[in-house]
Amino acid sequence: MNDKQSEIGKRIADELAACGVRLVASLPDNWLTGVINAIDGDARFVHIPVNREESAIGLCSGAYMGAMGSAALMGASGFMTVIYAITKINYTYEIPLFLMLTLRGGVGDHHKHHVSNSLYLRPLLEAINMSYRVIDEPGDIGSISRCYQHTRTFCRPMAVVFTRDLLRGHA
Amino acid sequence: MNYLDCFRVLARHRTDQIVVTSAGNSSQAWWAATRDSEASFYLDASMSLSTMFASGLALARPELKIWAFMGDGAFCMNPGMLMVERRMNLPNLTHFLVSNQAYGATSNAALPNVGENDYPAIARAMGLERVFEFRTLEALEHDFATLMAANVAGHTFVVLEVEPFSDAEQKLDQPPFDGPELKYRFGRHIEGRSDCDIFGYRV
Repeated sequence: MNDKQSEIGKRIADELAACGVRLVASLPDNWLTGVINAIDGDARFVHIPVNREESAIGLCSGAYMGAMGSAALMGASGFMTVIYAITKINYTYEIPLFLMLTLRGGVGDHHKHHVSNSLYLRPLLEAINMSYRVIDEPGDIGSISRCYQHTRTFCRPMAVVFTRDLLRGHA
Repeated sequence: MNYLDCFRVLARHRTDQIVVTSAGNSSQAWWAATRDSEASFYLDASMSLSTMFASGLALARPELKIWAFMGDGAFCMNPGMLMVERRMNLPNLTHFLVSNQAYGATSNAALPNVGENDYPAIARAMGLERVFEFRTLEALEHDFATLMAANVAGHTFVVLEVEPFSDAEQKLDQPPFDGPELKYRFGRHIEGRSDCDIFGYRV
């Protein structure tokens, strides 16, 4: 991991803390190493590595009902497994949820097996009418707070989707 | 033991605990036993996430004691949740695994490996230390105080071995709430108990 990855992770952590996030539930993606390391070593957060992505949805939703700010951090592949949990819990009960995902399958991803994410991640987000914003340069990290607040205003889930170039420090 | 009678015992011993139920039968049974419309969140059809939801709530509100119900069908979908619960080790959370040896919410459809699944052993293998199992109402009544005393020291996992719902019990009312109404009723109760701000405004 290079210094730029660490710096991006730190900036994302600062942005999360600034908008009141306390709990971060995560599953790994290689691109997210800098972010996970930053959060895990930051006393402003309770970082809970979970067993599967759906557990992150449950944890964050429950935390909301206890007035604790939260974020679920996961790769695109993990997100593809949580559609039922999101639609059942967050849509049915109108519980806000803030997600941070990776844009696997995007330009620059050299892993062929992510072709499914390339084809279906964005169409899936749109199919469930879930707002999202792609963050592909450091100057846009500040939009995390606005997206987080959007979930609270409209009582719906929203995702920010990080690109490889951003997370690898190439942007 | 009879599922409904077991929940009636729990309801009778309940003092100020916040409750989260799982899909189907546990929601029906808790609604039948309590008609609670404020301090219980009926997380219907959550497919294994009731205790994760309850863990988030328990983490956020350590001053409240949380009971979470989950059927063995839901547990089998996501047993790794116990790894997360063990890591969090929340002293204000009690996980009740209601073992009726069936997918009760879907007309008692067959559960895989039923008869061989040893839930207390699974829990202990994942490092949980405060593990209880009750097979009779008498034992539950007798040891309830011990169970709750254990609750103050760390995360507690309780297996309740019950009979599946009868055909008549399957027809018990489901909690009648629309999702948003339940969210606000429950959330306002939490706000009142904890003087916190969930929704960003108070009425």
